[in-house]
Amino acid sequence: MNETTSILLTFLREAWTALAGVLLALTLLAGLAQVLRTSSAGALGSSRWVGEALSALLSLLALGLFAFLGIPQIVGALQSALPNGSGCGPIGELGTFASQMIGGLAALRMLKAVLTSVLSTTLGAPASLAGALTESAEALFGMLLAAAAIPLTARFLGAC
Amino acid sequence: MFQPIMDQILSLARDAWAFMAGLLIVVALLGGMYYILQGTAGAAFGGSRMTSMAIIGVVGLVIIVLFAFLFLPQIGELLKNFQPQPPF
Repeated sequence: MNETTSILLTFLREAWTALAGVLLALTLLAGLAQVLRTSSAGALGSSRWVGEALSALLSLLALGLFAFLGIPQIVGALQSALPNGSGCGPIGELGTFASQMIGGLAALRMLKAVLTSVLSTTLGAPASLAGALTESAEALFGMLLAAAAIPLTARFLGAC
Repeated sequence: MFQPIMDQILSLARDAWAFMAGLLIVVALLGGMYYILQGTAGAAFGGSRMTSMAIIGVVGLVIIVLFAFLFLPQIGELLKNFQPQPPF
């Protein structure tokens, strides 16, 4: 079980690194696109378009900072709340495996939601942005639920 | 495992960055030319408001281009420094 956990966590860690790199590249490209939009709107004299582009630029910066500073802290805090290694035998191992997988998958899901948010902000699609943020909240709620469910399940299955 | 895909995506992103930076320069130069034309016409006809609006427009364009070429790379470096290790 430990080897399986290690292999899967390595896979998830590599996916996290790749997603973070893609998010960084996309945020910068989207920022440059918004600056281009601002300059063309300034040349055309469209103040509304300039305002929209500047607010989108600020939103991109806020999303990038949230992804790189907020998500690791949130995941770390919730993962410390997950019961890790309680009990013994196969149920205990399964609990450890489940808590680590839940943490890794939730972190990846939140990062993916921020990536979708960045794309939605660039394209100006508020519905997709709301959906991505809802997905992020779902991942958080799932981790909280797992923190309560894992010890109850272990007790129900008779872990020592 | 994801490195070859990452390399492809980053190569595409670099190309897109160079394309958009070039496009930004072209748009800013065209906008600057337009404002200079507007300012010249305003000065020739005695339209002081037109001339001052054109000067403000040129200054705004220069500020936006400087923002793009000086501030955005710094923001990128900042975000790259903040790029987190996997928290699990």
